[in-house]
Amino acid sequence: MSSAITVRDLTKRFDKVHALTDGRLTVERGEIHALLGANGCGKSTLSKIVAGAYAPTSGTVLIDGKEVSFRSPRDAEEMGIALFYQELSLIPKMSVEANIFLRREPRNGVGFIDYAKMRTETLNLLAMFKDAIGDDIQPDALVADLTPGQRQIVEICKVYAKNPSIVIMDEATAALDGRQVKVFFDILRKKREEGVSTIFISHRLDEVFEICDHATIMRNGAVVAETAIAETTTEDVVHMMVGDVKKAPKRQALDDEGKKPLLKLEGVGSNLLNDVSLSVAPGEIVGLGGLQGQGQSTLLRSLFGALPITSGTVWLNNEQVAIRKPADAVRRKVAYVSGDRGPDAALPGRSIFENLAAAILVSEKRKLVRAKELRPQLAEVASAFKTKYARMTDAIGTLSGGNQQKIFIARWLATNPKVILLDDPTKGIDLAAKADLFALIRKLAESGVAVLLYSSEESELLDNCDRIAVFNDGAVVTELSGAEMDSFHLTRAAYGEA
Amino acid sequence: MKSILSAPKSGSTVSKRPVWLVAFGSLVALVLINWFLQPSFFDGMVMHSNLTTFLPLTLVAIGQTFVIMGGDIDLSVGSIAALVNVVTVTVIAMAGGDAASVPIGLLTGLVVGVLCGVFNGLLISYLRLQPMVATFGTGIIFSALALWVMPQAGLSVPEVYWMTYSDFVLGVPTVLWILIAGFLFVLFMQRRPFESHLKAVGGNRAGAFQSGINMSFVRLLSFALCGLFSGFAALCLTGETASGDPLIGQSLAMGSISAVVLGGTMLSGGVGGAIGSIFGALLLGMIGNVIFFAGLPFEFQTLVQGLIVLAALAGGVLVARK
Amino acid sequence: MSDASSNMHSENAGFSLGAILREPVVLALFAIIILLGIGEAVSPGFARGDQIIKLLTVAALLGFAAAGQNLVVLAGGEGIDLSVGAMISLGAVIAGNVMDGANGGILPALIAAMGVTFIIGMVNGLGVNLIRIPPLVMTLGMTSVIQGGLVVFSRGIPSGNAAPALMNFINQPVVFGIPGVLFIWLLLIIGMVFILRATSFGLSIYAVGANPQAARLVGLPVKVIRTTVFGLSGALAGLTGVFVIGYTGNSFISVGDQYMLPSIIAVVIGGTSLAGGSGGYIGTVAGAIALILLQSVLTTLHLEFWGRQLIFGGTLLLLLMFYGRQKSARI
Repeated sequence: MSSAITVRDLTKRFDKVHALTDGRLTVERGEIHALLGANGCGKSTLSKIVAGAYAPTSGTVLIDGKEVSFRSPRDAEEMGIALFYQELSLIPKMSVEANIFLRREPRNGVGFIDYAKMRTETLNLLAMFKDAIGDDIQPDALVADLTPGQRQIVEICKVYAKNPSIVIMDEATAALDGRQVKVFFDILRKKREEGVSTIFISHRLDEVFEICDHATIMRNGAVVAETAIAETTTEDVVHMMVGDVKKAPKRQALDDEGKKPLLKLEGVGSNLLNDVSLSVAPGEIVGLGGLQGQGQSTLLRSLFGALPITSGTVWLNNEQVAIRKPADAVRRKVAYVSGDRGPDAALPGRSIFENLAAAILVSEKRKLVRAKELRPQLAEVASAFKTKYARMTDAIGTLSGGNQQKIFIARWLATNPKVILLDDPTKGIDLAAKADLFALIRKLAESGVAVLLYSSEESELLDNCDRIAVFNDGAVVTELSGAEMDSFHLTRAAYGEA
Repeated sequence: MKSILSAPKSGSTVSKRPVWLVAFGSLVALVLINWFLQPSFFDGMVMHSNLTTFLPLTLVAIGQTFVIMGGDIDLSVGSIAALVNVVTVTVIAMAGGDAASVPIGLLTGLVVGVLCGVFNGLLISYLRLQPMVATFGTGIIFSALALWVMPQAGLSVPEVYWMTYSDFVLGVPTVLWILIAGFLFVLFMQRRPFESHLKAVGGNRAGAFQSGINMSFVRLLSFALCGLFSGFAALCLTGETASGDPLIGQSLAMGSISAVVLGGTMLSGGVGGAIGSIFGALLLGMIGNVIFFAGLPFEFQTLVQGLIVLAALAGGVLVARK
Repeated sequence: MSDASSNMHSENAGFSLGAILREPVVLALFAIIILLGIGEAVSPGFARGDQIIKLLTVAALLGFAAAGQNLVVLAGGEGIDLSVGAMISLGAVIAGNVMDGANGGILPALIAAMGVTFIIGMVNGLGVNLIRIPPLVMTLGMTSVIQGGLVVFSRGIPSGNAAPALMNFINQPVVFGIPGVLFIWLLLIIGMVFILRATSFGLSIYAVGANPQAARLVGLPVKVIRTTVFGLSGALAGLTGVFVIGYTGNSFISVGDQYMLPSIIAVVIGGTSLAGGSGGYIGTVAGAIALILLQSVLTTLHLEFWGRQLIFGGTLLLLLMFYGRQKSARI
C-alpha cells in the first residue's frame, strides 16, 4: 500500500532565495510525523506547498500514490489535506460555529444555513476538548471574546471539521496550557487510530517525543535525516538540527565591576511578555534568542513605547523611566530598527533624504528642516555605512533592500542614540550588507552604545553577541554566555530543554 | 503565557445581544415622544403618510448594509435612485404610458439599478479602486446620465402606478407590504451563507481568503444588491411623486450610511445586519418628526437634526469599539 | 524597463522622456496648453491675456479651497474633507456680516471667518482621529451641521456685503493689469511650498501619509498631525469664503457648495495620491487651472451640464485607475 503522502525532490525559490533545496517527506497512513528544524530551515515552506498555499519550483507531491498539483488551498482541501494556520484563519467578530463552518456551512433544502445541524456538529467537535475546557466555549460566542488558547482550540476544530485524512499542525500547541495539550494529544492519538496522518510541527521537543512516531529533520532548506522517534534521543535530534556545533568567537570579557548597566529591566510584563529581567551595559551587545515569535520582537517594541508594558520597571542610566510612546524613547536617545522595513520603516515614494531625516527632525525638535545644513551631515552618516545611492533626492524605492535598510539604520545613527534596539535587522538582505551592518554595530558598541539584538538567524547571534537571553513563551528561559555560547545550547534552550 | 489564560472567560453574553437593540430601543422611545407631541400619531392616515416618507431611505439602507458589512461603502446610491427614477418614467412613457407599460418600466428600472451596482462592484473589487472615491465618481456619472435621460423634472406616470402605491392591497397599505417584503428579504438573507461570507470578508480579509471564500465575487454581489435596493427605493419615490426628477434622492447616500451606522453595523465591516439598518432609517425619520412636533423654530430644525445625527454617529462608532 | 536599466542608479536615470511625461504636474500643464488651444480654435480670443487673467481669478478661488483639501489628502488615512464647500459658505456669510460693506471691517472679517472655520475643522479632525469616525462620514455629517447653522444664522435671507476695497482688490487690476487676488494666490503658493518642503511639519505630513506606522516608529505624533490638517483645511476654506464674497459682492448660504467636488478633483488631477503621502501644491495649482479651463472650454463648446458632469466623473475614475489602486488581497 502506498503512503498517505510522499514528497520528492521538492524545491522552492523566492526570487533569488532558495528557501527549500531538498524537500523529502514520507508520511504513512495513521502516523504522527514530526517536522523539525531551526528557524528558516524550510519546514514552513514545505508544509505550505503540501497544503497548496505555495506552488513548488520543482519536485513532486504524491497523495495516496497519485501525483497532485494544487493551485490553491481549496484544491488541497478537496484532497483531504487541512492546514492549521499558525496565525489563525478565524474571523474575530464571528461566532465560533460560523467560523468553524465558514464556506462549508451545512444547508437545508431551501439553501438556508442549517443552524441546528451546525450547532450539533460544533458541539460534537468542541466535545473533543471537554476534559480540558468543559463547556467554556459556547458555539455562539464571538471568537474575539475568547482567550488565545480557546481560539487555538477553535482553529483545531475548524481543521477537523473538514474531515481531513492528512492534517498539518503548525505550532498548534503554542497557546495551549498543559491540560489542553494533554487532551489535544489524546485527540491526535484517536485520529491516528482512525487512520488520519498528522504532520506535527512544534517548538517543544518534549511534545514531539511524547506524541510522534517518526521525525523528519531539516537544516538550511534540506532534509538531513529521517528517524523513528523510539530510536533516538533529544540530544541526537538537536545535533541533527544544528549540524556542526558552531562556537561563538572568543571575545574579550567586559570587566563587570566597572560597567554599570545602561539599560536594565526588572520583571517587565505585558499580555505577551512574562517577567523579563535583563541588563545591558554600555558597549555590550546582548542577543535575544529562541524560536520566532516567543516575545523577542514584542520586548523590543515595548521598550520603544510602541507596545504597552503593564508591569515591572525599566531603568535607563540608573533612572527609572516610563516610555509610553515612541516619541518618549526617541527623546531619551533610544533607537529601534525593525527588520520589517516595508511596514515599519519605509516612507514609500519619499526621497532618500526624507527617509534619512525622519528621526533627527523628531529628536532635535526642529521646526525648519534646513536641508542645506542637514544634507551633508546625513550623507556622512550614510557613507560611514557604505550606503550606495546616486542622489539624496531619489526615491527610497530606487535602492536595493540592503541599501534601504542601511538608510533606515543611518536615520537613527544621526540622532546619536545611547541604546539601539535591533529587531531582526537583517531580514532579507544580502551577505555583504549584513557584514557591513554588524561591523558597524560592533563599532557603535565600542563607542559606548548598549545594543539589544534579536535575530531569527542563530549564527548572527552567536557571531555578534556578548550574551544571549533565550526566549520561550514570552519569558527568558535561560541566559547563555561564555562556554555555553554555541548553537547546541542555543537550540536546546530554544526548544525548552534548558 | 499564563497572563493570557487568566483573561476573562468567553464573554458570550455580549454576543447574544443583537446589534440592533439600541436602535430599536431608541425608535420605541421616539415613537412614544412623538405620540405625546402629536396625539394623532397612531391614526391610520398619519402612520400611512409617515411610512411613505420613510420607505425609500429604509430600502436604500438595506442595500447599503450589505456593502458596508463587506468593508466597503457606496456613495452613489442617491444617483442610482435618480437614474432609475428617470429611466423608469421615460420607459413607461415610451412604451405607451398606459397601465400595461408599467411593468416594463419597473423591470427596466431595476435592471439599470443592478447594472449600476455591478459597475461599482467591478471597479472596486476587481479593479481595486478605493470604494469611497470610486463610488463618489460613479455617482457623478450616474447623475449625469440621469440628467441626460431627463434634463428637467417632468413626465407623469400612469394613474394606476401611483394609485396602487398610495392605496391598500388586501386591506393593508402597499407601502406596508413593501416594508414587510423588505423585512422578509433581510431575514431570508440572514439565513443564507452569503451574508456570513460577506461578514468574513469585511471582518478579516486574510482569514476569509484562507477559508477559500471568493472575495471579489462576494463584494461584487454586495454592490449589485445595493444597486437593486436603490432601484426599489427609486420605484417607491416614483410612486410617491408620480413623475421623474433627475435630482431626486440626493440625501440618500448620507442618510443611508447614517441609518446603517445607527442600526449597529460597523463602518469598518464584518459586524451588523440589515435589521438594524431598517430601525436606523425609521429612527432618522422619527428624529425629523419629533424635531418638527417639538415646536422648534423652523430654522433650527436642520441644525438640530444635523447635530443629533452627527452625535449619534459618533456615539455609534464609540459603542461599536467597546 | 528600457535598456538603460543597466545603469539605473546613474545620474541620468531621472531624465527619460517617458518618466517626465508620467509626472502629474507635467500632464496637467500639458492639458492646460491643449485646452487653451482648443478654446482658441473654437472661439478666437479665448486665450487672450485678459481672458486668461479672468480664468486665473476663478482658478485662484478654487486653488485656495483645494490647498486645505490638499493637506488633508496628503496626510493619508483615507483623509478627505467634504465640508470644504459648507465651510466656504460659512466663511463668506461670517465675513459678509462682519464687514457689512465697510472697508475697516475687512481684517476683523478675515480673522472671524478663518477662526471659526479653523475651530470647526479641528472638530472634524478630532472626530476622525479621536473617535475614529471615517473622514468622509465625519465631514459629510459636519456639512449638514454647518448648513443647518447657516439657516439659523441667516434665516434664509442673503445678508452681509463685501467691503468695496475687497471687491476692487479681487476684481480690479492692481498692478500690471493683474488683480490682487492673484498676488495673494502667489503668496499662498510660496507659503504652501515652503511649509511642505522646508518645515518639519510639512515633511511630517508626507511621512504620516506615506506610512503612518513608520511615522509613529520614528516618534511622530500621527494623530496630532492628522487633526491639524483638518483645522488648516477649515481655515483655508474660511479664507476662500472671504474671497468668494469679495468676488460675488454678497453671500448666500450655499455659495460654497460648488467648490466641494472640484477641490477634490483639482488635488487628484494635480497628482496627489488619494492614499496620501505623495503629491504637492504645485500640482494642485496646475490641476485647479486645468479644471477651470476644462469647465470653460466645455461651456464654450456649449456642452450641457450633464455632459460636463459626465466628463468630470469619467476623469476622476480614470485618474483613480492610474494613481489610486489598492493592494491585492492575495500577496
